[in-house]
Amino acid sequence: MCLAKYESNMPCIIEQLPEGGLLNSMGLRKGSKVSIKSRQFFGGPLVVQYGSRCLAIDKKIAEQILVKGCAD
Amino acid sequence: MKCHNMGSKGSSHKCKKQSFHGGVHNKRSLVMHDDIRILLMGNPNVGKSVIFSKLTGLDVLTANYAGTTVSYTEGHIHYHGKTATLIDVPGTYSLEATSPAEEVAVNFLEDGANVVICVLDATNLERNLNLALQIKQKDIPIIYALNLIDVAENKGISIDVEKLEKELGAPVVTTVATRNVGLKELLDTAWEYSLKEAIPITPVHISQDERWQEVGRIVENVQVVEHRHPTFWDKVGDITVQPFPGLPIAMLVLTFSMLFVVGGGQGIRSLLLLPILNNYYIPVVTTFVSGFVAEGILLNVLVGEYGVLIKGIEWPFFLILPYVTLFYIVMSFLEDSGYLPRLGILLDSMLRRIGMVGSNIVPVVMGYGCAVPAILGTRAATTRKQRIMITSLVALAVPCTAQSGAFIALLGDQSIIALVFVYLVSFAAIIVAGYILDKLIPGEAEPMLMEVPNLLKPSSSALMQKIWIRIKQFLVEAEVPMLLGILFAALLVETGMLLVIGNILEPLVAGWLGLPIEASLALMLGIVRRELGVLPLLELELTTLQLIVGSLVALFYLPCVTVMAVIIKEFDLKLSLYVLGFTTITAFTLAGIFNQVARLLGFQ
Repeated sequence: MCLAKYESNMPCIIEQLPEGGLLNSMGLRKGSKVSIKSRQFFGGPLVVQYGSRCLAIDKKIAEQILVKGCAD
Repeated sequence: MKCHNMGSKGSSHKCKKQSFHGGVHNKRSLVMHDDIRILLMGNPNVGKSVIFSKLTGLDVLTANYAGTTVSYTEGHIHYHGKTATLIDVPGTYSLEATSPAEEVAVNFLEDGANVVICVLDATNLERNLNLALQIKQKDIPIIYALNLIDVAENKGISIDVEKLEKELGAPVVTTVATRNVGLKELLDTAWEYSLKEAIPITPVHISQDERWQEVGRIVENVQVVEHRHPTFWDKVGDITVQPFPGLPIAMLVLTFSMLFVVGGGQGIRSLLLLPILNNYYIPVVTTFVSGFVAEGILLNVLVGEYGVLIKGIEWPFFLILPYVTLFYIVMSFLEDSGYLPRLGILLDSMLRRIGMVGSNIVPVVMGYGCAVPAILGTRAATTRKQRIMITSLVALAVPCTAQSGAFIALLGDQSIIALVFVYLVSFAAIIVAGYILDKLIPGEAEPMLMEVPNLLKPSSSALMQKIWIRIKQFLVEAEVPMLLGILFAALLVETGMLLVIGNILEPLVAGWLGLPIEASLALMLGIVRRELGVLPLLELELTTLQLIVGSLVALFYLPCVTVMAVIIKEFDLKLSLYVLGFTTITAFTLAGIFNQVARLLGFQ
């Protein structure tokens, strides 16, 4: 399932994400545990928490990130 | 000696007599033979600029979001008989330059240094170490400042510094830069390491994945995270990025900010400044000067209608300064709390319709202070289209704080509705112009990918310092051009030249815009500074319609000469000529049409 469609406030694990670029250097990578903190109207960015920090990720990018659910 | 920054709040050892004093060097000066060259590097928003300003005693502006430093700043430290050049390098997430600001960082590393201070954010060790491991591949001695440990502790993060030192093979100094904690030790360590010969490193080419695995291993080894309940500010930080209640909160914040500046400024002026001006300053100065100078042109130039000693003091200090001060109080608070990027997230989808992205809100809001830092701040934007869009919109329709002060003084007393109207026109113009520019300039808005800073209670000493820097900047930059402008005005008025020029411009000023011909003075002075395009109107007795028309001209009129110079420097002459053209044409066209239509409808 893509991150953009995943339920808010539920932790999930990144399975696949666009290669290289800023996303990677900002710390998101395969295996990172993230959860969606908020969504905006009209296709605005998602606020995604990873570790103790938050990233605002464009919905278009979030659609390219594949995630799977995790127990915790 | 400038050791006040180090000594003011820290413990006693911080301010030894021979210790620190700084000097400003805007250009990259040649490094003297025995000079130490130190680079301050790290991820965006980890506190490099705070460390820089504390160590050098220099005034640099800092804020709580990524991309505050878009160019490098250089300062000098004299310590233990040696001089070091400290360079505050713009923050970067990696050494694969993706924006102009990041390229600057990479180039500095290529140029070499005696030592690199790599600043690590203790609340986000993993991502910070990814960059640290990349810098470590260079042949330069490196030491680490583990900053923000106080915030990390509050979040339940504890880091074993000794283990981290072992992993990195270099000293790690813990710091809380905003409170001067650990800075002396950091400087000592930098001094010690700068003497070391760099051990040649054979760069090991590892893939990104391998590097992240290494980072993961280090973090696992040195960091323990305890679950903590979110603090009050964490909770506020969370709700401000939810559309509800985030959007209503944003409305409240902006409305309150506006009322604070407008109402507060009006209050300070009418209760405090105007009585001082009218009852003491003007009578005393006029009487004093009249005692020495005989009646005639010279007396009028000094204390007459546009007297340099009267308007040259009244306009900047009694009229504009209260608004500028209050605006920068609000602005600094918004910056240091980390609220602005949150506003960007909430507004991103709306801004996209006019070709901008959420993170562009930061330079645009800065533009309400002054267009110069706003345009420089666009360097943090990743595409040229974004840079040109923000620059054009700020130049066209965003009044700077000094001009806003002039609008409030001009319109606020006569009609608050007129004031609100002018600002509504300004917002509408931003939307329309943004929409048009988006269609005209090729390229697409980049998708948003932005770090959301922690929402923090701003440190009051940092706030005070920042507000003071900005007020000082305003006074230094405004006073001389303002005096020259007023002197020019006084000479035009006293020699009768104003009427001659006014008669030439009569068809435009009186015919099309419906203003008295003396208003042509505002058009001439407005070239020098934006507020000078408004202030001369105060001296004319204008109807409400004329006030609005005059304000609209000033709002859209060309930005001041300084801004034009910055546009040439940051882009090219061509763009500055475009800006000059479309601002001036928009100003006369819109204000003129407004005047003609209003008069047809029977307004006077």
